[in-house]
Parts: sequence; structure tokens; C-alpha cells
Amino acid sequence: MSTGDEGHMAERGTKKRRVGTSGGKGKKKKLKTQPASSDRSKVSMKSKKLFQKRARDYNSDEDEDESTKPAPVSIREKIFSDANMGPNYDEIEEEEGSDNDENSDGEDHGEIQSGITRFATDDGCNAFRVAFKAIMKKTKGEDALGPVLSAHKHLIGQKLAEEEAERKAKGQARKAKHLVAEKGHVKPASYLDSHEKILIGVATKGVVKLFNAVNKAQHAQKGLNAARSKDAKELKKRRKDAFFTELGKTPKADTKAQKSSSSQGDEAPAWAPLRDNYMLANQKLKDWDKKQETSEGDDFADMSGDESYED
Amino acid sequence: MGRFKNNKKSRVAVKPIAKKNQPNVDHVTGDKIPKSFVFSRMKLPGPVKQLQMDLRKLMLPYTALSLKEKKRNTLRDFLNVSGPMGVTHFLMLSKTASALSLRVARTPQGPTLTFKIHQYSLASDIAQSQLRPRCPQDLFKSPPLIVLSGFGSQELHLKLATIMFQNIFPSIDINTVKLSTCQRLVLLNYNKDTKMIDFRHYSIRLQPVGVSRRIRKFVQNHQVPDLRNLQDVSDFVTKAGYGSESEGDEEAATVTLSSDLGRVNKSSTKSAVKLQEIGPRMTMQLVKVEEGLCSGGIIFSEYENVDGKKGDKKQDEDEEDEEDGDGEEEGGSEEEGSEDGMDEDHED
Repeated sequence: MSTGDEGHMAERGTKKRRVGTSGGKGKKKKLKTQPASSDRSKVSMKSKKLFQKRARDYNSDEDEDESTKPAPVSIREKIFSDANMGPNYDEIEEEEGSDNDENSDGEDHGEIQSGITRFATDDGCNAFRVAFKAIMKKTKGEDALGPVLSAHKHLIGQKLAEEEAERKAKGQARKAKHLVAEKGHVKPASYLDSHEKILIGVATKGVVKLFNAVNKAQHAQKGLNAARSKDAKELKKRRKDAFFTELGKTPKADTKAQKSSSSQGDEAPAWAPLRDNYMLANQKLKDWDKKQETSEGDDFADMSGDESYED
Repeated sequence: MGRFKNNKKSRVAVKPIAKKNQPNVDHVTGDKIPKSFVFSRMKLPGPVKQLQMDLRKLMLPYTALSLKEKKRNTLRDFLNVSGPMGVTHFLMLSKTASALSLRVARTPQGPTLTFKIHQYSLASDIAQSQLRPRCPQDLFKSPPLIVLSGFGSQELHLKLATIMFQNIFPSIDINTVKLSTCQRLVLLNYNKDTKMIDFRHYSIRLQPVGVSRRIRKFVQNHQVPDLRNLQDVSDFVTKAGYGSESEGDEEAATVTLSSDLGRVNKSSTKSAVKLQEIGPRMTMQLVKVEEGLCSGGIIFSEYENVDGKKGDKKQDEDEEDEEDGDGEEEGGSEEEGSEDGMDEDHED
């Protein structure tokens, strides 16, 4: 923690002090960097050293590394750095101006400049720059794939082809799924075909029959008061007669709107209350309470019939 | 940490919209009102899901319109809910790769009719195909009438289907029914040759006969008519409109109303019945009848031999067959079925 703080302090400190400390470090660094930078003809030794110094200052990480080793600042060093200050600064300004011409012109302010110079002088950055420039110089191939940085063009081609095939397969699968989902779904025609007309005719017939029956039944009870018992009996009789005469003379249909168009013959109606002997001949209704008990706890046989579930 | 708390109080298996104010029994006639659930126990593809929604609308008002089903809901869950809510019928849609099927079951004990849906059209398809789709406000406020046609009473399974569909909607008391509640109609037409059942859903409209279209519109719409092209006011009444009024089968489709209906249909005049389709439309085939609720012995099967010999399994429904294929039992059940036809117990 203490080292980090120190680095921080160094960065935040006054200009004078910063230069001083960095000057001390720079002196140590000088020996290391000299052989590496000797091959560079453009940048002078001294200025390069300074740039590295500034770059290090700029980069806090490096600073930390440096500051792990306790760097005692002696008075002598301080003096040395103070003496160094003047001419160094001039040279920095010069060199930075030239560097700016090379890389990017425009800004010439302290920190940003130092960043730029670092980019120019650092070895790794330099290599990257060279590589990037080389790439940018390349003309774009007239390939279908477009500009590809990788050398393995055929691999990418394969991958793309695979993707294409995959997409196609997926699309087909989706189409098949859609077909399954839509199976049986038909859009009706905008006109009425003969079959539909027949069906509408059948339905209309049913409605007409019902409405007429209703009309007859409700017409019959006009003028009679249902509250009076004498009238009520008469009413009942009339209603029944009117209803059955309306429904094709044989009491075959029930009170619902069901109008079976096919004749059922003269056999007894399926629905129990319509039979003449309803509630008379049925033995079971006498002891209906017992019957219910048994039927509830009974087997499935009772339900197999078609009538047992009526309510 | 508060946001990780689950606010759900309890896990409810089925959350149907509670119909608290709906009576189980008709006030006027005292009949029990049949109610229904329309659901599916699998994930349906889009159009089938829409069909399910259409069926729910068709079954209105005595159905759970926004019934939520989950994957883990078993049939028993629905059955448990159906009891207290007075639900008497289940309509179950199921979709396999090869076929779409509709099961109509009576709760709680069956029987179950399985229909294979060969073709279907959604209500939206029907509406799209029409020039002027009709949907009055109170169309779905009353149950539909049902018209069954072509079902002979000879064959047992058809008889069963007839009764099943008759009981799926509330019955009409002919003496007390109001014609204004007869707004919709469900038609089931059985074709003997193809064994297909045509399922259609129509809206009923009544128009006075012998009144020109102009007058009718004038009375209905309350709007000032356009008289620019007329010389005299009398022209509006006397001049015939376009020949669009189809008078072909007017005679067969006219009724005399017992009471006034709306503004234009008076009881004194004759009215013409006009039907307009409001989907869904289905063409289906009865393939199987089971004794219980999606279980039990098979009373009838289209593909299998009912007489006891196990036919080759041509069926493509995925059923939880628990006790089917027992020759003696099936034979017995058929007998009992005919017996029950003779002596039916009827509890009102």
C-alpha cells in the first residue's frame, strides 16, 4: 500500500519534485536503454531518455514498479535535476514538435504529447505501428469475403459456408414446423360455395322452425293468465299441442332447437321427457334416492350408456 | 434483498376467471346450466391456439374465457376445479404431428368423444373473407342455439354425439324464451357418405320482409338520407333500390315474430332470417368414444374393431389407455349402452 501511495504522490507532486525524482530514476535507466536505442538514428540519445522518463511518469503502473525499490532522494540528485531542468525542457519541446509532424499534428500540450511520443518511441508500440501501417498499405482484395486480416482465407470460407448450410437447414426445419402447425388450417374462399350454401340453408331452416314454434307457443298463451290454475292447465295443453304440431307432427324433437332433418321414424323419442310414458312407466324414479346412491358408488357401466349423463 | 422475495402468496394450479355471479340454474326454467372449459394440455402452435380461443368465444357466456393452463396441470386439476364451479363439459384440443383432435367430454365421469379435425378455419379467417363482417355488441352475451342435422338415431355413437352436443348449451324453453337472445347458431351437419361433421357458427339477423333497403336503413341508422338526386320526397319511398335484395329463398326463411325485436322487426310484420358466418369453421370426424373421462373402455372407435378383436392401431391420438382393448368389457358395455337406451334414469 505504501508503495502505491508513494507512486501516487510522485505523480501528484509539484512539477519540480516530479522532475527531480524522475531524473534520479532516469539516471539509472540510462545505462539499460542505451544499447537498445543506439540503432535509432532519428532520435537523439538524450531526448529519448527524457521521453522514456516522461512516459514512465505518465504511466502509473511503471511508476509503481519503479517505486517498489526505495529510491532515496538525496540533495545531490535534487540539485542535479534542477540543473538539468532548463536545457532538457527545451529539447523536449523541439523533439515533440518533430514527432508531432511524423504522427499527428495539432495538439502540443504536456501530457498528451508525452503519450504520443511514447507511442512513437516504445518498442512494442513501434512494432505495432509498423505492422498496422503494413496492413493499411495493402490493397483490398477483390474477394467475396472482403478484407480479411487472417492469412487462412480458406478456413474462413469454410466457416461461412458452414454457417450458410446451417442457416438453410434451420430455415427448412422451421418451414417444416410451420407446415405441421398449419396442417388442416384452410383459408375460406371469399364467395359462398354450394356446400356452404346448403349448410346455411339447413341452419336457416332450423332457425325458422324454432322461431315459428316459439311464436306459436307464445301466441297460444296470450290472453290466458298463468297464475290461475284453471288457465294454467289449459295453457299447458295448448302449448304442448302447438309445439308438437309445429315440430313435424310427431313428438320427436326436444325443446332445444335441434331439428333433425332426417326422419327418425315412428319410434319413441330418444329424450325421456318426450315419451308418452315418461314418469309413468319408469320404475326407477319411484325410488330415485336409492338409485342415486348406488349410481354414485357404482362402476363405469352406468356411464357407458348414452342417456345417463343427462341433466 | 427485498427484490428477491417472492410475492406470490400461494401456488394455484388453475386460475380461471371466477364466474361468481353466474347462476348454476336457470331462473326461469329451473334447468341446470351447462358450463364448459376449453383447454389444452400441451403447447399448441399459433393457429390452433387461436382456434381454442375461438372455441371459447363460441362457448360464451358459460365458459372460462381466460382460463390459464400450465404444463403441469393434469386433467385431475381441471376436474377438481370443475366441480365447485359447476363445469359440466370439457373441450380439449390436442395437436400431434399427424393430426389435430378435439375431445368433448362430460364431467366428471365421461363419456369422452374424440373428434379428428380434418380442416378448420379461424374466426379471423372467416371475417377476412367477408366483405362486411358482422359483430354486434351483445352477440356473445347469450348462448348459441344448436342445430344438428343428419344425425340419424340408428347408430349409437351418433346418438351419443347428438345428446352430447344438445346438452353442451343451455336448453331453450320454448314458452319463455326471448327472441332477442337468439343471436347465434351452431350448426353440426353430419354427412353420411364421408362420415364428416361440418361444424359452423353463424350469427342470426332478422330483417323485415317487403321493406325496401332504403327505408330499412333509414329506420335503423337514424341518419338523414341523401336526397340530392331525387326530384321529390316520394321518390325516396317509391323508387326501388338496386337489385341487391336477394329474394330467392325468402319464402322459406321468413318467420312471424312473437314479439317485437329491435327497431325494425315488429311482431305484426314478417321477418326474414339471415345467417352470416362468424367462425370458427371445422370439419371433423368422430373417431373414438370412451366411457370415462379420457379413459375407460372404448365404446366406439372408427379405426378399431369394437367387437373385441384388437384392430391394428391406426389411431394417432396419444391417449392414456388404461383399460381398453378388453374384448369382453367392450362387448358388455355396448350391451349396457343399449340397455340404458331403454331405461334411462333422468334426474332433473
